[in-house]
Amino acid sequence: MKKRFLNARSPLRLLEQGLHGGLGQGNLGVVIAAHGVGKTSFLVGVAVDELLRDGRVLHVSCSHPVAHVRAHYDTVFEDLAQSKHLENEGLIHGEIDRHRSIRVVPPGTLTPATLRDAVKVERETGAPPSLIVVEGLDAAELTREDLQDLRSLAGELEAEIWLESTCSDERSVSVPKGLEAQSDLVGVILALEPGQGAVGLRALKDHDNPDVSALHVSLDPRTLLLVRS
Amino acid sequence: MVDLSRIRNIGISAHIDSGKTTLTERVLFYTNRIHRISEVRGKDDVGATMDFMELEKERGITIASAATHCEWNDHHVNIIDTPGHVDFTIEVERSLRVLDGAVLVLCGVAGVQSQSMTVDRQMRRYKVPRLAFINKLDRSGANPQRVAQQLCDKLKHNAVLMQLPIGLENKHEGVIDLITMKAIHFDGDNGENVRIGEIPEDMQHEAEAARETMLDAVSLFSDDLTEAILEEKVTEELIHDAVRKGTLSQDLTPVFMGSAYKNKGVQPLLDAVTRYLPDPTEVENTGVDLSNDEAPITLSSDPNKPLVALAFKLEDGRYGQLTYLRVYQGKLARGASIVNSRTKKRHKVGRLGRMHAADMEEIEEAFAGDIVAMFGIDCASGDTFTDESIDVAMSSMHVPAPVISLSVKPVDTKSQDNMSKALGRFVREDPTFHAGVDPESAETIISGMGELHLEVYVERMKREYNVEVETGAPQVAYREAISRRAEFHTTHKKQTGGSGQFGQVSGYVEPMEEGDFEFKNEVRGGNIPTEYIPAVEKGFAQALEKGRLIGFPVTGVRVVLRDGKSHSVDSSDMAFQTAGRKAFRDVFPKAKPVVLEPVMKLEVESPNEFQGAVLKTVMQRRGTVVGTTEDDGFCRLEAEVPLSEMFGYATDLRSCTQGKAEFSMEFSRYLRVPGEVQDELKKQFGSRVVVEDDD
Repeated sequence: MKKRFLNARSPLRLLEQGLHGGLGQGNLGVVIAAHGVGKTSFLVGVAVDELLRDGRVLHVSCSHPVAHVRAHYDTVFEDLAQSKHLENEGLIHGEIDRHRSIRVVPPGTLTPATLRDAVKVERETGAPPSLIVVEGLDAAELTREDLQDLRSLAGELEAEIWLESTCSDERSVSVPKGLEAQSDLVGVILALEPGQGAVGLRALKDHDNPDVSALHVSLDPRTLLLVRS
Repeated sequence: MVDLSRIRNIGISAHIDSGKTTLTERVLFYTNRIHRISEVRGKDDVGATMDFMELEKERGITIASAATHCEWNDHHVNIIDTPGHVDFTIEVERSLRVLDGAVLVLCGVAGVQSQSMTVDRQMRRYKVPRLAFINKLDRSGANPQRVAQQLCDKLKHNAVLMQLPIGLENKHEGVIDLITMKAIHFDGDNGENVRIGEIPEDMQHEAEAARETMLDAVSLFSDDLTEAILEEKVTEELIHDAVRKGTLSQDLTPVFMGSAYKNKGVQPLLDAVTRYLPDPTEVENTGVDLSNDEAPITLSSDPNKPLVALAFKLEDGRYGQLTYLRVYQGKLARGASIVNSRTKKRHKVGRLGRMHAADMEEIEEAFAGDIVAMFGIDCASGDTFTDESIDVAMSSMHVPAPVISLSVKPVDTKSQDNMSKALGRFVREDPTFHAGVDPESAETIISGMGELHLEVYVERMKREYNVEVETGAPQVAYREAISRRAEFHTTHKKQTGGSGQFGQVSGYVEPMEEGDFEFKNEVRGGNIPTEYIPAVEKGFAQALEKGRLIGFPVTGVRVVLRDGKSHSVDSSDMAFQTAGRKAFRDVFPKAKPVVLEPVMKLEVESPNEFQGAVLKTVMQRRGTVVGTTEDDGFCRLEAEVPLSEMFGYATDLRSCTQGKAEFSMEFSRYLRVPGEVQDELKKQFGSRVVVEDDD
């Protein structure tokens, strides 16, 4: 399959349909799940999709070393490439490696300010990212000012910023208290819940849309990639 | 006969400039092997004892690892000093292969640097138990706690402080031993007088807390110790046993500290080496049984069993050809008869010696577990010697293929002979160094693992053999490959005058991931008589030696021969060989050939403020940034960069970071070059091949 067909048929387009257009530039998205359900894998899936559409991704992690994050990307890409028989796999892999930047910072030092610094370095040496994945920083622990700052960064860059949050209840995920009061600053909130034979993805917030029931899809439990139903 | 439990074969391994040669020098001094201390790059023009090669003295780096021997606490300690530069990792790897334990030296200021990570990875590969020594505590900015934490975070060691520093930087006086709970000071001009005293009052509380942390970590390896802690009956012996157990299983890295330069902390480290690192009987060594289809065989340190010894290093010294051997099993005695298991040649053991850097102490025999030097026996590095009763080889060492080459030309005819001698010796000494003559240009080509690697050999030719050479521009070892399947149908026919030639072959070629070349014969019905099939294969193999894009070897090709035709009179081996060669020449452009280039894994460490500048150096070189890790004001950048773009990198990096960044580089893999670079290379090499492209 050629890359352009792969993009058109990506299950991520389903997510966008379900969300009335997806997260959208300049917005913050948060994915919530219990420990070990697969927030990182899901976010890497979103990032790989962006890379395959010629976007640029900045992945900031304060919980894993560079090699670990890279291995995540390699696995997701290789799974995708093999299952869809992607042509020119090697070349495309090289391309997405070049358009992705992984930055690891020590735990406790990641703030909107350090993220801005990271973006500055990206700008100096190439193009600014169109998608930023922040891993290892719980969105529910951020202050309102932090979230506001992140949202304005997303706006300035015309980028999407995805954050994660960990909840304790594995099967019935709700917006954590720390985030509830701030949820007006967040465009999309998604919940990942393990179910029978698949991981369920549902929207807890979709911009100003009061009806969030439109999005309820299944993910492959192994790869955490969206599967077409 | 030596008591094996009192032998220690250790390496001192670390990042360049973390002070390991200085440390070794102190070790030799305290063990009375030398009577005067010379500094690396010292003012006395002597240079440290272990850095005995001229070049090393000049550059202040260790290139070839010298083996030395010393005695401490009734123990024989064999020390291999290992080089710190990545270009010489084969030396490090070879040394690690023969070691039973190692001391990982870390700089107390810079901490775990990229090279420490490479060396640590190698140690892990060879399962070498290790102690850590945090050096340079006298330097400003020294912080052993931070370095120990980096050992845990970056290298994933279970590092446990066994000591605390008494004062740091210019106030560094000594260490507190957390087992004996005593302060250790190092008096005298060279720190030779160890004075044990009470812990300074203001450190008592800190020392107690650190001891508790240490006991917590160490007790995991001994139930007896855990029990003793609960009953408050902890003895020094119990702690030593537990630390030793954890160290041997590589689940614990005891951390010691000091300043070798200021003569502090070295003697307690030597105590730790004899206490915690394994003796030769505690390490399992395996070889391969050549008489049983290379089945793995476990060697035992029993001196009464048949001899197995590995030549891990060769040198041409003032005593002639010198071979460093590690005896794994049995006994090696002067006058005995031994066999090289690779060449099957028999040799008589001449003089044997224990090496102390460039000096030697003659011995009559060596036993399993020993590291010795043998004189006058011709062999290559990595060869195994046995007595005649068994046919065993030590498992092969991982030897990477060279990635860069350089043409060398002696400036006069006198140099020509010496150059051949020098190259012959270097090739035998170092399996990553290759030398040969290019049949087309008739130039001598040397190849190796990096620019500095080759530079060092050129320098050594000059210094040790008096050979002046002119060198060409460094040449990257490109490869060619095909990127899609393509069919061939080729006839080689010459039937005009004289004896004719006829051979027809058809089938396809396709790319394969693993290996260089595979030939599959699927011809049915004898259209090509069986006796000619090897000739076809040979023809293809010949064609692959030199690709048609830029003249480099073609790799990763599977040839499937499916059909063909022969002629009862005109077909011959020669005709089918030519048909194979022609077939590949015809099919190559159709199989969308590509050029592959060696890509290096690059790690650059710099202060945070230079990360933009460092990133630019990578971008400008067609590099792909894998990621950056920020830590405590420093930033480590990991990237993959084509080797062809890395010439002169050290200079560029220095100038854009005010000399504050450092890098290490090792071969990673071969990758396809981008289209425009391929076109450029084709132009450069005068290629006229038109790649057929239907995309």
